[in-house]
Amino acid sequence: MRKADVSLSLKGEWALRCEGITKAFMGVVAVNGATFDVPRGQITALIGPNGAGKTTVVNILSGSMLSDSGTEHIGELEVSNWESHDIASLGLMRTFQLSRELGGLTVLENLLVAPKIQAGESLFNVFFRPGQVRREEGDNVNRALEILQTYGLYALRDNRARELSGGQKKLLEISRAVMASPQILLLDEPMAGVNPALIEKIGGYILDLKAQGMTILMVEHNLNVVEQICDHVIVLAEGRTLATGLLSELRENKEVVQAYLGEVIDASTTR
Amino acid sequence: MTQVFYYIFTLVFFLFDYFILAMGLNIQYGETGILNFAYIGFVAIGAYVTGAVSLPDSAGTGQHYILGLNMPFPFNLLVGGLTASAFAVLVALISLRRLRTDYLAMVLISLSLVLYDICNNFVPLFNGADGLYNVPAPLAGVLKLTTNSFIPVFAIVTGIIAMILWFVMSRITRSPLGRTFRAIRDDETVAAALGKNVFRRQLTAMLIGSFYAGIGGGLIIQFGGSFNPSAWLPGETFVVFTVIIVGGVGNNIGLLVGSLLVETLLVHLPAFLPAIPGHAGLIEYIDAMLIGVLLMVMLWFRPQGVIPERVRKSSALTKLMPVSSADVLVHENALNEGGNA
Repeated sequence: MRKADVSLSLKGEWALRCEGITKAFMGVVAVNGATFDVPRGQITALIGPNGAGKTTVVNILSGSMLSDSGTEHIGELEVSNWESHDIASLGLMRTFQLSRELGGLTVLENLLVAPKIQAGESLFNVFFRPGQVRREEGDNVNRALEILQTYGLYALRDNRARELSGGQKKLLEISRAVMASPQILLLDEPMAGVNPALIEKIGGYILDLKAQGMTILMVEHNLNVVEQICDHVIVLAEGRTLATGLLSELRENKEVVQAYLGEVIDASTTR
Repeated sequence: MTQVFYYIFTLVFFLFDYFILAMGLNIQYGETGILNFAYIGFVAIGAYVTGAVSLPDSAGTGQHYILGLNMPFPFNLLVGGLTASAFAVLVALISLRRLRTDYLAMVLISLSLVLYDICNNFVPLFNGADGLYNVPAPLAGVLKLTTNSFIPVFAIVTGIIAMILWFVMSRITRSPLGRTFRAIRDDETVAAALGKNVFRRQLTAMLIGSFYAGIGGGLIIQFGGSFNPSAWLPGETFVVFTVIIVGGVGNNIGLLVGSLLVETLLVHLPAFLPAIPGHAGLIEYIDAMLIGVLLMVMLWFRPQGVIPERVRKSSALTKLMPVSSADVLVHENALNEGGNA
């Protein structure tokens, strides 16, 4: 069976598990044995100081980057160093730290790219099964318009994605990932560079996705947001897992305070 | 007057032929983002193979070539196109799997040079530097065409083929497959993260585009009756690039305009001008310079081309829907009335 044909239904306690993940760039170690589990159906925050390797971990988990060693499981299935499109086909979607919209496509088209299996992506179907392609396209357009309505992007549906503002691009990335009906969603700093009102909105959207049964792992620096919406926190420092648990528990952890929280608390009190 | 008439139809032939070539390169570069600097190599493969299968066995022809099947039109043309596609699979397997953008472009241009040297020097393949000649004029026997009357007839046939290929290409570019091509062009990491098998889609774009290249090449050798390495110097690829950049990358109508402006008016029209006394071939060089200048001017001032890529509006997408999905229109109306727009 091809990897792309594997379907997965998450049943266990953990949706995502990685063990001993390492990654070095030209001798510089970015991830150094990161090991953690992401509980199914919950919102987990991945926090840590700059350079801790959070985005590299997200890149490895989503298949955008190969790890040097270590294993990754989605549910019970080992997917270590699978290609990005195979991992996505299993139902793991991601957003990017710096928004990566498909700039030449419209907002609506950005969403229409996302559904996993589309009859119209086969050359044979385009010419010999046009009815099926049209029906499916109709259903996808319908669903995409609904999602755009939910995320407040409906009025921008015919704009090229490159014309959107930073906050709108963040929303577009999330709505595009949602369009793919993922089981697991990796969000890389979804609140970065976003105004406070929109932060609240995005937080609400993420809670809604959790309510729908989605497992979410988000890299986030805003500890207020982490406290408000996340069920579980993983602290990464110097490429390794420093601690896991609730944020309130981690505030009592000296190592965590020293490596990250103290730094942030100090910074916030000086503002 | 008669001469002008034939000149005009020669220009018409090149207009449509380069339209076909531009559509092929556009699906690779304009739609999928593959910088195929070996494109002219695929045109040459189409031309040589079409010529070689049209010719009789090489024994006694004074030429050296493989095949020699006496194959009639349009089967010879299809074989040329399909061979170019098959070669594209080989090239894609070597280059597309591991290489991206600049490195891919470098490998492809090197490949074009290697291919050129092989065809130019390995005589048993396609008659070396002399190339193939005396290729039978298609339909000439059936329609009892003379050398002169063949020109307008074949120009019209080429126009008809171009329109068929335009229809086919429009179906592809408007489909979800075309949208996935453009997603890969815009950001292949994102496309892969959305579950798209980038390599497979790029391979599909290479296959389609190279088929068009092969057909375009096949038409050239049948129109002129000959084809040799001087007709496809690796730099010729950039003429096709200029056609699509001037006309409008990602816009099929723009490609026809680009073909008219660049290939017809700039490349071929001056070829009919009388030579400048004492400076034989100067017009050709001025032509090449003008193409370079035009390319730079367009990239600087109007990179989107004369007719830019269309924005595919939601209204057009909803129009394509079958009756069973007409509820989208209801949905749209509801949103327009009370939505958050």
